[in-house]
Amino acid sequence: MPAPETSPTRSLYSPFPTALRFSVRDQTRNRLAGLLLLVFVPVWYLVMNAMASGEALDFKLYATGQVLRIDGGHLTLISAGLNSVTMITGFVVFDAVRKALAFDRRLVFAGYRQSTLIGAKTLAVTAVATAIALYTALAILFFWRPTGAGWFAVLAGFAIIALTYGAFGLLLGVLVKRDLEGFFLIIMGGLMDTFLQNPLGNPLANKPVLQWFPSFGPMQFAVGGAFGHTTLWGHLALGLGWAAAFSTVGLVIFRIRTRKRTGR
Amino acid sequence: MAPGSTPAPATVLRATDVHKSYGKHPVLRGAELTVGPGQLVAVVGENGAGKSTLLKILAGVLPLDRGELAVPGTLGYCPQEPVLNTALTVEQHLRYFVAAHRLPDLDRGHELVRLLGYERYARSTAGQLSGGTRQKLNLTLALLHDPDVLLLDEPYQGFDWETYLRFWDLVDDLRARDRAVVIITHLVFEQDRFDVLADLNDGRLTPRASSREDNHAGA
Repeated sequence: MPAPETSPTRSLYSPFPTALRFSVRDQTRNRLAGLLLLVFVPVWYLVMNAMASGEALDFKLYATGQVLRIDGGHLTLISAGLNSVTMITGFVVFDAVRKALAFDRRLVFAGYRQSTLIGAKTLAVTAVATAIALYTALAILFFWRPTGAGWFAVLAGFAIIALTYGAFGLLLGVLVKRDLEGFFLIIMGGLMDTFLQNPLGNPLANKPVLQWFPSFGPMQFAVGGAFGHTTLWGHLALGLGWAAAFSTVGLVIFRIRTRKRTGR
Repeated sequence: MAPGSTPAPATVLRATDVHKSYGKHPVLRGAELTVGPGQLVAVVGENGAGKSTLLKILAGVLPLDRGELAVPGTLGYCPQEPVLNTALTVEQHLRYFVAAHRLPDLDRGHELVRLLGYERYARSTAGQLSGGTRQKLNLTLALLHDPDVLLLDEPYQGFDWETYLRFWDLVDDLRARDRAVVIITHLVFEQDRFDVLADLNDGRLTPRASSREDNHAGA
């Protein structure tokens, strides 16, 4: 007996919303990341603020050439927030993408379009990264009250770095074989990247070489907005460029690794 | 191609002169397999004989170096290690694959879950399931779209006796509806269940004499 005719009928579950829903679920199931958000972010702010507050630091805004003399505690809160966001977002996305890779491949074999899965994954990563950035930016308010516009600049900086490290996590998730390699690269990468931008920890901060790091743009934008009353859109776009570059490479590798191997 | 849209083909799977090497190590050297509708085929071989490699090639997961593969109808593949998402429940897995295959509803999925006897785990995540139940879900996903040919890699590992019997009931039902099943295994119990038993030796398949008369597949 032939099977019931199925293809002309509309499916009960359409591919894109289903993939989006389950991708978001995949990215939000990480309990350790939830715990890091709840505990690590405030503790990290507390420690960094206590270490650096009261000290005045010089910070160079590259777009204007202006050197700002600002409270080290506040500057370090921005660094600490950027650092937390890099680690948590990178970890969440890396873990979810790596664990789901074989399953995604099975979905493609079952008939999912790769572009549908890629679209759903990208949107899920964007949503999760934005949520982590928003939380981290709200948590900073317990330690420091910048102006409204200043806070939005910090939020935008956090959102861009979250997207960048979310994309970096995605790239590592489709690239590296073991957990440890990915975690190490995310933690060390994020730590170096964000720490070097702060003159408190790095006497070489304000040197041009820092422009080649992913957190340069977001840090400049956040500091410029919070202390210099300038909106450095170019630097925000630079940060977005990093996110776009990481995600493009990651998604191309995803496409290769989930493709069908025969032309049946 | 949609199932049922064409008359049943004479073969549902044909592999001709399949070659595959890993580096300089040849695994398959001219393996041939033809499977007709409703046939039950066992590919038997020792550990390391290349059984899983052959099945992955048949499933389109692995590219072949040389040879031809024709699968005119729909295909279901059940890998040896369950490929699941530990964060999703059994029910969510069904929905995901219903969306993948663009099926109209979850009816076949629920039927399979019932036939394999794990309805009570519908709301458990794959990460919470025992090895045997994960294997059942793995099999359910391969069967959801009622494929013309089903490829199974060591399917009953981890099944208890009752599940083993349910599994054969399910296979009997598939065959009665002209669905073919290819099973890869290193141990064959109950040889007379199969239409074709083919031994994988030195990268080639050799058919064994079988007790069934209606054997029209050549290996």
